[in-house]
Amino acid sequence: MSSTYGTHLRRWLLGLPPVEWAVQQIRGLLISTLKCGPIPQHIAFVMDGNRRYARQNSLETVEGHHMGFEALARILEVCYKSGVRVVTIYAFSIENFKRSRYEVDGLMDMAKTRLVQMSQHGELFERYGARVRILGDLSLVREDVMEQLDRAAEMTKHHDRAVLNVCFPYTSRDEITRSIRETVREYSTPSQRAAGRGGFSESHRTSGVYRLSDFMLWQCHEDTEIRFVDVLWPQFSLTTFMPILLEWQWRQRRKASDESRQGVLKVQ
Amino acid sequence: MMPGLRQTNAFHTDLDHRGNPLSVSEREQLLKPYLPPRPAKQEKGDNRPPSSRPRHLQHQPRIRPALLHLLHYTLFTLLHAIFSIYIRFRQVYHAIVGRLLAILHYHFRTPELIKRDVRRLSKVPQHLSVILELPPEGGKRDRLEALIVDACEVAAWSACAGVPMLSIYERTGILKSSLPSLHRRISKTLTSYYGNSPLKPTLSLRAPHLATYSPPHSPEPAVHGDMVAAQHPHLTVLLIDAADGRQTLVDLTRTLASMAQDRKLAPSDISQELIDAEISESVMGEPDLLVVFGEGVRLDGYPPWQVRLTEIYGVQDNNAGVGYSVFLRALYRYAKAEMRFGR
Repeated sequence: MSSTYGTHLRRWLLGLPPVEWAVQQIRGLLISTLKCGPIPQHIAFVMDGNRRYARQNSLETVEGHHMGFEALARILEVCYKSGVRVVTIYAFSIENFKRSRYEVDGLMDMAKTRLVQMSQHGELFERYGARVRILGDLSLVREDVMEQLDRAAEMTKHHDRAVLNVCFPYTSRDEITRSIRETVREYSTPSQRAAGRGGFSESHRTSGVYRLSDFMLWQCHEDTEIRFVDVLWPQFSLTTFMPILLEWQWRQRRKASDESRQGVLKVQ
Repeated sequence: MMPGLRQTNAFHTDLDHRGNPLSVSEREQLLKPYLPPRPAKQEKGDNRPPSSRPRHLQHQPRIRPALLHLLHYTLFTLLHAIFSIYIRFRQVYHAIVGRLLAILHYHFRTPELIKRDVRRLSKVPQHLSVILELPPEGGKRDRLEALIVDACEVAAWSACAGVPMLSIYERTGILKSSLPSLHRRISKTLTSYYGNSPLKPTLSLRAPHLATYSPPHSPEPAVHGDMVAAQHPHLTVLLIDAADGRQTLVDLTRTLASMAQDRKLAPSDISQELIDAEISESVMGEPDLLVVFGEGVRLDGYPPWQVRLTEIYGVQDNNAGVGYSVFLRALYRYAKAEMRFGR
């Protein structure tokens, strides 16, 4: 009982115009501050924990996914404003089709509503200059959702400042298999295609599960820094994200100073 | 900026605060204050109203951005100063925890102690994988020697903990250079743990594309008869390197392509199962647990196909290298994790 009272109080407090304004100013300030240092070029997120979050707070599962989507919007904003060029999100795994019919339908409906909302605001998207790319096995997607996906990709395809990769019915093994199949089909050049996307700087997994679950295996098994973050995705926000970014920056600077020291040694 | 609660709510339900459905323009109105400025390119466009004053009288903000920049830079420096203090403290903390655990759980090269440590675990990985690093400094011999010592220790711990299969990843593949001598070294280490006890596991060592090396056993199995030999613990050690990762997939692609050219295989026959079978056969299957002994989790070229559902364990700020306490903590975490496969 006291906890619900607490959240009410918190919501009311955060809803006050001056508080809201102050929070916004601080967020903006922090993002601009982060921008002074090196920023990873590519960040990938495994958004995990929506269902557990819903269960813990006794909400509907679909509600948990909605919260997850909002967390995503917040994080995307932080990423793009601080200068990350490519963000990849693991939205839906092929394995997820094994979940209950009701939930899969709910998720698909949500994806559709969001996409419709998105394409109605094409002009707003331009301000971030983000291009949407869908990765995954699209043959598994429902017809009407597919239509919206195409529309979103089509609408944003001329943007070049940033990229949002959405992995929608995706597993990494499937991706590798498909690219091998395509290569074999082309006969002429037997080489891997999937490698073209390049490595990550950082990859995050929320929610205290410590595996990659078939995500971006090919792209992140080299020099990517993998972080398993012990929060559920809907709770993931600037406050959890910032220490990670700071640590990355710190490591980057230390690496740079190490290299310059080595350079000096070589000269001597 | 993060929209306020009212706006978030409106977006969430697609209704305004009176419960009427939102129209497109209303929604845009809601978001307007939170959007970043238009990209500079567009501001120079023609859609701006022509200004009435001549160009040189227009106010060009210079001082304000400079001050802001100064503020951001100061904050950045301050933040990083605080953060580096924090990280030093964290490193010290982790080092102390690591040391304490190492003291509390030391194996004394006694299999019974290791067995006691893992007895409470509900499950032990059937296939354990570790990433070892060739030390960056020192002469070539010393570096290899250090690496071999680490590999031997890990093999002995795994054998004592009852892990039947251990794969050791080392980027350069230098461990593969001499299987017989490595086999001898590991056997020696096992002997130093088990003494001449009949429980001492037999050992076979292999690497992809190289023949398995398991020399004829010492007379033990013959002495104890077939009954005991059947239950005799056995440890398989597999050595892998960076070439068993990407390169294997590329080679496989090449092989499949040439098969397709010879019309032995249609491209549509290539499925995940086929590739998985090929890869499992030529390199290895999926490990259950992967232990990283570095400072943070970095896969460093580890075979990508196999780590799909592997539990990955690394200790934050681990400076002590390959340690028994890290190994043990990994096993503990593995036993506690609930198996969740996309459901």
